[in-house]
Amino acid sequence: MVLEATMICIDNSEWMRNGDYGPSRFQAQADAVNLICGAKTQSNPENTVGVLTMAGKGVRVLVTPTSDLGKILACMHGLEIGGEMNLAAGIQVAQLALKHRQNKKQQQRIIVFAGSPVKHEKKTLEMIGKKLKKNSVTLDIVNFGEDDEGKTEKLEALLAAVNNNDTSHIVHIPAGPNALSDVLLSTPIFTGDGEGGSGFAASAAAAAAGGISGFEFGVDPNLDPELALALRVSMEEERARQEAAAKKAAEESSKQEKGGEEQDATMTERASEGASEADNKKNEFLALAMSMDEPASSQDLQDTEMSDAAAEDPELALALQLSVQDSAKDSSSQADMSKLLADQSFVSSILASLPGVDPNNPSVKEVLASMQSQSEPQQKQDEDKAPKEEDKK
Amino acid sequence: MSAAESATAIHRNQVDLLDFIDWSGVECLNQSSSHPLPNALKQGYREDEGLNLESDADEQLLIYIPFTQVIKLHSIVVMGSEEDGPKTVKLFANREHMGFSNVSDFPPSDTAVLSQDNLKGKPVVVKYVKFQNVRSLTIFIEDNQSGSEITKVQKIALYGSTVETADMKGLKKIEDH
Repeated sequence: MVLEATMICIDNSEWMRNGDYGPSRFQAQADAVNLICGAKTQSNPENTVGVLTMAGKGVRVLVTPTSDLGKILACMHGLEIGGEMNLAAGIQVAQLALKHRQNKKQQQRIIVFAGSPVKHEKKTLEMIGKKLKKNSVTLDIVNFGEDDEGKTEKLEALLAAVNNNDTSHIVHIPAGPNALSDVLLSTPIFTGDGEGGSGFAASAAAAAAGGISGFEFGVDPNLDPELALALRVSMEEERARQEAAAKKAAEESSKQEKGGEEQDATMTERASEGASEADNKKNEFLALAMSMDEPASSQDLQDTEMSDAAAEDPELALALQLSVQDSAKDSSSQADMSKLLADQSFVSSILASLPGVDPNNPSVKEVLASMQSQSEPQQKQDEDKAPKEEDKK
Repeated sequence: MSAAESATAIHRNQVDLLDFIDWSGVECLNQSSSHPLPNALKQGYREDEGLNLESDADEQLLIYIPFTQVIKLHSIVVMGSEEDGPKTVKLFANREHMGFSNVSDFPPSDTAVLSQDNLKGKPVVVKYVKFQNVRSLTIFIEDNQSGSEITKVQKIALYGSTVETADMKGLKKIEDH
């Protein structure tokens, strides 16, 4: 979240016509510029970004540092390719543009895209670097495109002259299947001096990394984020389900004390129809229980199957069951669930914890008694309802 | 002005302006990150001889000090070592955000060439008339004693008075007479 004014120096020389970075070097550069501008303005709304071109007829400032993303994107249109890049002049003009920034509190940064050969001497570049360091301007160099002898060396020397405590970076990007912008996303230019970068950059980097290394679920998060999210969530659900099953088995064996009929009856009641008063009351109780026991229990559980048939009561019951279990995941093992329902200690513990519930309340008792008798058929219904998990909270 | 006189001038009604420095706006260009400005300015650090302000890329330093209120600057103390201590020091009053490129654009409010005595702690009295209404002070250290690559400053102290305080004292003196 550093407050920064950035000048981006674009190489629009003849060498940018080359297509080794798809679709063309120049286009790849433009994409990268857009990405950088977005990331900078997102990480801090007061950041400003400016753009200048280094080749063509001469160094030309297209946009002075501004936080208006639209302006920056617009100026990238209609840029002509031609001429030779003048790195020294470009950096110096960038420095001047930064010196006259409106908000003097912003840190000064220059990002240079060096795609064509560098014709300056190493000495010249070192002196420029020193001057930048003296005026506390940081420099990021993107070395791509042409790689004639000495270019890398010169750029490294320039970086060494500017670098003050690792605030300046150089990135070498060889031509390859990955887009220039994608590779840039994972570099310190985006992640910003080890801060961790903005959410924008981080998520984009994760997406790009996923893309490069082979998608986790065979789906590109960029192309289809919802599907990717659904896949990821269902995997977590499954994992949690298995955990829950294991935990249930352990809990069942430990809870054998009381014999309150009421408790599981309540739960089974929930799982079935129930539109009676007592049911409603129990709904409240259950809601209370849910909110008290595990407020966050069902958070990560998201039903990607979108079942719309589940009525409120069954959902409540299911949710209660979920909250009762520590892992708060519905068990795919129906046998376990019904056993759990039948386990009175569970229900008793829940009811006891509810503030407004009085198990001695006649209406409660009545319904519970009736429920108990229905517990067998209820279990079957539970099985049906179980897959329809929905997070009630 | 003899040394004794200037020393008493400090004691009489001048205070160390350390308390009036607006630390949030203090800047120093071309300082080395391991030897930054607080080493020379802050109480405690500046007394420590091992902690210096050092320059980085070359021997020049540009220090910008804003104040929390308007002050009058009477004198400054710049202490450093014999060889690496600063030599030519230019002071600019009320110039915001100067850079190395525009130090020569306007004349300094005062220039001081530091002698060895100064480097040992003798204060340099400035042209008081030029520093009557100072909101910020820019200190440009142009070179050092031996011409080496790095300038080392052990202590910078500013002495003067605040505008209000001076008025009060002025009132008192009139009453006395």
